[in-house]
Amino acid sequence: MTQTSVTVKFTLNGKETVKDISPEQSALQVIRDELGMKGTKEGCGIGECGACTIEVNNQAVNACLMFGVQLDGCRVMTVEGLAEEGRLHPIQEKFLAGHAVQCGFCTPGLLMSTHALLGENAEPDDSQIVQAISGNICRCTGYQQIFSSVRAAGGQHVQGRGQEDC
Amino acid sequence: MTTMTCIRPESLDEAVDFLHDHGPDTHILAGGTDLMVDLRSGENHRPFLLDISRIETLKTVELSDDQARLYIGSGVTLTRINTLPLIKEHAPALHKCSFTFASRQIRNMATIGGNVAHASPCGDTIPPLVIHEAEAVVANRDGNRTIPLLEMTKGAYRSALHPEDLVVALKLKTRQPGFFDFQKIGRRKALATSRMSMAVMADKDDQGRISFIRFSLGACTPTPQRMHTVESLFAGKNPTVELMNQGAGLLAEKMVEITGRRPSISYKEPAVQGLFKRMIYPMITWCRQ
Amino acid sequence: MSNDRYHTVGKSIFRRGAKERLTGKPIFCADMELENVLYLKAVRSRHPHAGILGIDTTAALSIPDVVQVFTAKDIPGKNLMGIINKDQPLLAEDKVRSLADPVALVAARTPQAAELAVAAVSVDYDPLPAVFDPEEALAPGAPKIHAKGNVLVQKKVRRGDVAAAFEKAHTIVEKTYRTSAIEHTYLEPDAGVGFPDEDGTLVIYASTQNPHYDHKEVVSLLGVEDHAVRIIQAATGGGFGSKLDMNVQGFIGLALYHLKQPVRYVYTREEAYLATAKRHPFVIHMKTGADETGRITAMQMKAVCNTGAYGSYGIAVASRAAVHATGPYAIDNVDLECTAVYTNHPFCGAMRGFGTPQMALAHESQMDIHARALDMDPLEIRVLNGVKKGTVTATGQELVHSIGFQDCLAAVTPEYRKAGTDWLSEPTPPHIRRGVGIAGMWYGIGNTGVQNPSTARVAMDRNGQVTLFTGCADIGQGSTTILSQIAGEALGLDAMDIHVVVADTKYTTNAGATSASRQTYISGNAVKQAADKLADVLLTEAVNYLKVKKADLRLENGSVRDARHPEKQVGFVRLASRILDKGGELSWQGYFDPETVPLDPETGDGIPYTTYAFACHAACVEVDVLTGETSVRRVIAAHDVGKAIHPENVIGQICGGVAMGVGFALMEAFVPGETISMNDYHIPTAADMPCVIPIIVEAAEPSGPFGAKGVGEPALIPTAPAIVNAVSNALGKRIYALPASLERVLDASIASGHFNNCYQES
Repeated sequence: MTQTSVTVKFTLNGKETVKDISPEQSALQVIRDELGMKGTKEGCGIGECGACTIEVNNQAVNACLMFGVQLDGCRVMTVEGLAEEGRLHPIQEKFLAGHAVQCGFCTPGLLMSTHALLGENAEPDDSQIVQAISGNICRCTGYQQIFSSVRAAGGQHVQGRGQEDC
Repeated sequence: MTTMTCIRPESLDEAVDFLHDHGPDTHILAGGTDLMVDLRSGENHRPFLLDISRIETLKTVELSDDQARLYIGSGVTLTRINTLPLIKEHAPALHKCSFTFASRQIRNMATIGGNVAHASPCGDTIPPLVIHEAEAVVANRDGNRTIPLLEMTKGAYRSALHPEDLVVALKLKTRQPGFFDFQKIGRRKALATSRMSMAVMADKDDQGRISFIRFSLGACTPTPQRMHTVESLFAGKNPTVELMNQGAGLLAEKMVEITGRRPSISYKEPAVQGLFKRMIYPMITWCRQ
Repeated sequence: MSNDRYHTVGKSIFRRGAKERLTGKPIFCADMELENVLYLKAVRSRHPHAGILGIDTTAALSIPDVVQVFTAKDIPGKNLMGIINKDQPLLAEDKVRSLADPVALVAARTPQAAELAVAAVSVDYDPLPAVFDPEEALAPGAPKIHAKGNVLVQKKVRRGDVAAAFEKAHTIVEKTYRTSAIEHTYLEPDAGVGFPDEDGTLVIYASTQNPHYDHKEVVSLLGVEDHAVRIIQAATGGGFGSKLDMNVQGFIGLALYHLKQPVRYVYTREEAYLATAKRHPFVIHMKTGADETGRITAMQMKAVCNTGAYGSYGIAVASRAAVHATGPYAIDNVDLECTAVYTNHPFCGAMRGFGTPQMALAHESQMDIHARALDMDPLEIRVLNGVKKGTVTATGQELVHSIGFQDCLAAVTPEYRKAGTDWLSEPTPPHIRRGVGIAGMWYGIGNTGVQNPSTARVAMDRNGQVTLFTGCADIGQGSTTILSQIAGEALGLDAMDIHVVVADTKYTTNAGATSASRQTYISGNAVKQAADKLADVLLTEAVNYLKVKKADLRLENGSVRDARHPEKQVGFVRLASRILDKGGELSWQGYFDPETVPLDPETGDGIPYTTYAFACHAACVEVDVLTGETSVRRVIAAHDVGKAIHPENVIGQICGGVAMGVGFALMEAFVPGETISMNDYHIPTAADMPCVIPIIVEAAEPSGPFGAKGVGEPALIPTAPAIVNAVSNALGKRIYALPASLERVLDASIASGHFNNCYQES
């Protein structure tokens, strides 16, 4: 490690984490390459797809646009932090039951966007859901089963987008 | 193979001192959402990364005692622009633009100072700031100075800032206008770079005449524009469809004057009029209420 | 069709592999941990067309951590790839034909070193004149992309007497349609890893739609025996046709062959955009004639599609385009021709629908234009012309079974009518105009007029555990779940109780490509056949054990029981032991190849597919006449998929297809040299999506597994023409080129007068 490395300390999925990193590394590189947590995906590297979405201090962010040094002192959560002791998080359960997973590459990012949304608003309305997840590109599902899974996670029990909505 | 050194000042003075010594060799890191993209697309890595995100004073939003000015710290994120009641009340067009700014993830990181300093022609916050005659408060070791927003941008991605400068805040003339709006056209409904954006605020007298109006155009010219000629057209008049059409024509004329006739103009010329009408038509109704 | 008679078929069980994806398990190639891994990166051409005079790797090799730089001369076998025609070198030898062509391959210990080395490889190019437009490439004297000339293939379908029919026609519509190159934009950029096994086998994990093809190709590139290479499909983050080509697999094989050390190649998004196949852009000239009742009597269609530098799936695209040009309509006189042309555009290959989505824009626009000319309802003209039992298609095939097109039309009718009356008459702001459009489609399941078999094995061990071995790549569409359901149904087991071994060339046999909407139907049949054979052996043994005749026995929850006396039963474990002890066989292979007859090269006569899927979409759009912004509010999508094995998967395909159709219709266009990253290429976000109302129509296919056909590609095909028809309905002005972008829609709005007349002084 050269002298220009930086020590960052942060809480990752509830665990104190200390790591020497290079200043130019992105948060995504720190999480994937330095810490070996592969759940967070790189889809575009420029904040245009949301596959790398993580939660930092309860807010969804693109890990690819964030410098690793910005993690310092933060509470960070990745998809690996959702399930506890092998039990799926309720959001994951809704995605499973709602058939919201196809290829699965966008899934971790969408879960984190959903988690951040429900953290600030336990019962989001449809426009708030769209606002929260429209930074996450999915090419497989057309979003509808994802949308209804997020709805279900937010306590709504309408199947699909509901014909009355359109 | 590390090439960068990261500096993480806790205070504005430290940051400014560092920039004084190393400005040209320094990337300023606020939200990072533009910087990371620029570096990936080949912009040269500079030796220093100055992370200003710990400077708490950059994150404040305050109303002056006489309520005439709104100070928005340069480190205020677009999400806070979206949620702070003070901004919704005193800079409603800015508040509105935050809903369609990139994506939620980017809004959570991106700062208003970054959007201004990056000098992208497509910066969505610019037209809403221009209609508040906003000035950037810029600090360096010699002290603070203000740069009117319209003078902030010298060209596409070229700002008037010197390497030792740091944008500290945006200073807006406050107004709770009777009528305001922000409109943009993108190729899709989220995560879309503006092809064109505009903002307006206006007031009327008791005869329904326009007593105050500011209008700004963004994204379709290399630098943001305040369109005084369009404003003058409306000032003191009862807006009508005819007046609106005239204004649209004038706006298109001015835009073409600035950009010249490039291939994209075949869309932009009618679209700028269309977007203008979409924004102004409700003002006609409002003036008649 | 009732699902009650089935144990697991028709039930939307939890998807296999979903939990791993939901919890972020390291199942994608970019995630896999490897010791001492080398990073690969290709040096790509900087010229669209140029001779290669020399390649100097000295500077690159002197960079610290750079291990090796390979060029074409390092390829031990045959340096030529392509699933249908072989014309694409892994590394360019004498010339480059597009900006994407790889010239050298770097292996380095760090990604940074690999990147530096790529920049340091010096190639001496001799630039050649380039051609990008396919019609220009056909002109005499055009630059020659390949030695054999610029025509990759010309496919024709001819029937009846077109000239005579046009002579008699009441109305004739003749138009030209254009579509853009489309980038698949699967979320996972292409990736692969490789390592040598203990016994020296070169093991390659890849993000792929066709591991067995990859295997054949890597073996040929390396000139080694079949057993020297093993391809395993890693979790694959979408494909949509682009992962049918060899993207990283050949590079990994080459480096592995020489270096015998773990290697990884993960494309950046930018490289995935630059270097992988695109959807063929088409120019379609279409002329149709109708009689006074609206019956279409003749169609002449000439299309040119741009296959770019290499063939890839171009031949299949041209062939399918010609065969599908009529759309799902009975037209007696046809003269259809599609030519695929080489240019210096990045190569185009398979993408969801193989030319059918492009053709649907043309035939569905023509339908609406005819309807308008005759003052007919767009739905009525489709009902009138739509195929039904007994229809003879353009290739002379009589449709006999599972022809659900009329059912699809009927299924959307109520919503379509309601939209046309209620929704259209709701007040809107003056600048918003609403429109409703409809479009149909048909799609032949499997490859066109060629053999495309699948195989599978279903085996039971002594403990009664059943394992399904299938070479079928699940790229997110859910084939592993569906094939498990099919095996489960045949054996009376829950799908999840069956172990699966999937897409590993060491353990599974060839299932063919995950393409052409073929896996449920073709691999489903292969799996069912294998499972049925195993079931029959179990039943035969149970007859002996239970002393009950076979017709009365049922397979249920791991036992065979007497349907009349359920207490009479015997478990699989006991049966397995008895069979094995007698030297019996519990491992059975299934094989299914749909019955097709190759198409005549001049007339196209033949049987291209055993069965077809059908669909109809209705789209409700709002057009901003002032800016050209178009919002799709609602899509009603009826699909005849045969029996839906897993209804929620079918719905997932439909909604995903609609999303891709919205992108194709309104915003997507790949422009070489300009489209660099996801910042330059927009696909729909959640905010762009309409409410989709999927309707599953089940016209059971007798030759399908439990009556199933397919839905993957059909889901996309009618969306874009339905949207274009709706925009046309909104503006009273038609758009003939995709995407119907801001610019094109605003142009139409101006031309129609709506732009200028939208606000009037009240």
